[in-house]
Amino acid sequence: MVTSTSAKKYLKTTLEVRELRKKYYAESLEQVGKQKVAWCSNNIPSEILEAIDINAVYLENYATVCASKRLSSGFCRAGERAGFSQDVCGYARILMGYLLGGDEAPEAPYGGLAKPDFLVVNSYSCDSRLGWFATMSHTLNLPLYVLDAPCQPEGGCTEVANVTYTESQLEDFVTFLEEQTGTKLDRGKLREKLDLARRAHDIQVEIYEMRKAIPSPMGAGDAYTVVWPGMYMAGTKECDDFYQRLRAEVLERIEKKIGIVPEEKFRLLWSGLPFWYNMVLLNYFEDFGGVVAIENVYFRYEKSLPPQHEDPIKDMAISSTIHRPYAGDIEQRLQLTLDIIRDYHVDGVVLAYNPSCRLMYILQPALKNALDQHGIPNLSIECDMADERTYSEGQIKTRLDAFIERMLSGRR
Amino acid sequence: MIVAGLDIGASTSKAVLLSGDNILSHSIIATGAESANSARRALDEALNRANLSPAEIGYIVATGYGRVIVPFAQETVTELTCHARGANWFFPSARTVLDMGGQDCKAIRCEEAGRLLNFMMNDKCAAGTGRFLELMARVLWLSLDELGELSLEARAEVKINSTCAVFAKSEVISLIREGKDRRDVLAGLHSAIAARVYNLLRGVGVEPDLVITGGIGKNIGMVRRIEQMVGLKALVPEEPQIVGALGAALFARDRTS
Repeated sequence: MVTSTSAKKYLKTTLEVRELRKKYYAESLEQVGKQKVAWCSNNIPSEILEAIDINAVYLENYATVCASKRLSSGFCRAGERAGFSQDVCGYARILMGYLLGGDEAPEAPYGGLAKPDFLVVNSYSCDSRLGWFATMSHTLNLPLYVLDAPCQPEGGCTEVANVTYTESQLEDFVTFLEEQTGTKLDRGKLREKLDLARRAHDIQVEIYEMRKAIPSPMGAGDAYTVVWPGMYMAGTKECDDFYQRLRAEVLERIEKKIGIVPEEKFRLLWSGLPFWYNMVLLNYFEDFGGVVAIENVYFRYEKSLPPQHEDPIKDMAISSTIHRPYAGDIEQRLQLTLDIIRDYHVDGVVLAYNPSCRLMYILQPALKNALDQHGIPNLSIECDMADERTYSEGQIKTRLDAFIERMLSGRR
Repeated sequence: MIVAGLDIGASTSKAVLLSGDNILSHSIIATGAESANSARRALDEALNRANLSPAEIGYIVATGYGRVIVPFAQETVTELTCHARGANWFFPSARTVLDMGGQDCKAIRCEEAGRLLNFMMNDKCAAGTGRFLELMARVLWLSLDELGELSLEARAEVKINSTCAVFAKSEVISLIREGKDRRDVLAGLHSAIAARVYNLLRGVGVEPDLVITGGIGKNIGMVRRIEQMVGLKALVPEEPQIVGALGAALFARDRTS
């Protein structure tokens, strides 16, 4: 049983996200009838949707909202009653429960979602989404667009073929959106959105750089929240302003040497998705002088390239094929995490095995082996990111306590 | 100074009274529904056996799943750290500890003085634990103590497919109805559990010496199979159930020295 949910936030800027998110969902409902509604997967570029004036609803985010409000068991059960196995992605089960659960599903947070006119999914990083969105398209009898993002060989990919393919995908995607909305994409507006989104991205990269500081100016409890505007409001002034305030606050904490705990005894990396229904677990180490100083999910690795082409779609195609950490092979993903461990002075790693997330799960065994070889203490815990029924307080706390004892007992 | 270690497990509660390097007494009782109460009863029993009063105990450390609900303990330490410490007290050469308890199974890697290095535990499943064997003993009309010996008398070991304790029970009932010899069925059950445990041991990397603790350490059939899989002789303390409580007592001794 889970006893509490929200992580303790240490930065005042983080607290703004709650209102931003509430407003975002409220505005989405207010816009019904005025804008076409797209139900989207993560990694659908919100800049393009914004530039065509589409009401974008990101379903994975809504699933995390449901989980954080402790509604995941009700929605998952409803999804399972509709025929979806417990092995299916927790996010997908929550949304299928929301869609098909009827009166048996819990009351939907934020008054529910705007009803979709069409669906769009990105093939980048996760394969479960494709089946999930195809099922929704069938269930709702609505058109679905699959934006295909090719896999990326080691060392990135700039070759013409990949850029050409990505550009053709984005152009085709734009055509689909134009057909659905009857609105022509304003490429000048997209350029503005793109520039704003890149600016916000670059500030996030700077904040990640700052988090190498000792003591940690911002831990995972804040970090998993502050990624939200960048993921779902990219290309808006609000998003840009938010990250400017956040950067200033992180900088101030570094200058004043304000850490998460009075005396930092060990720094951890959280590998994998957090348990959205029990985010306070990220603070669990703090009473013992431990900080989850960094995470390997949502990590912003590199700053944006300068504009690559006058046309924003071609520019996006070139830039987006340069660095996509989840499109690479396991070796590449593994190395990225090992680099984080080195750069952020990480003493130990929590490996969160999210059984219903194949994308995240598959990295963990390889990472565990590498950590064992390097003598880096690590703890494996298996809980779903969204389905709270997989969480067992006693078992998890025993593991965390033993890991803390191990971290405090001295050398690697 | 006399100190106490209490290990409040899912099945049994154990107490060890320690003075210097001498175990004065120990107790093992069923935990029952009220863990806090069982902690008191386990301690009282150990005190009675040593002819001591509660006032003579200088420090108490609690461990096990029920460690947080022992109101009279000064401190808690997890059972993983305690088993590593306790096993090293019995066998200073211990580097790998396998604790097979009532509710879970832990593979532990430790270094000198029993300092915890790494561990893995079974997740969300009772197969491979003492509870599982208790269930099977009931199904086969045997006492828990008989299982191990009988499993070694098998002539044609039966393969058990189910990895779930409840489904395995149904499978065992079917096999007995089919007329299979219960010794052969028992051998299959023991092998299935040993295979699961072996995966945990592989996960932490087995280094000699290997020590087996917990109630299942008394099951010779299980010990033999694990030895066979690992390729190492296992060391088993005379009373494997008190290793966690002893570890807790050793931490209590540290605090008072």
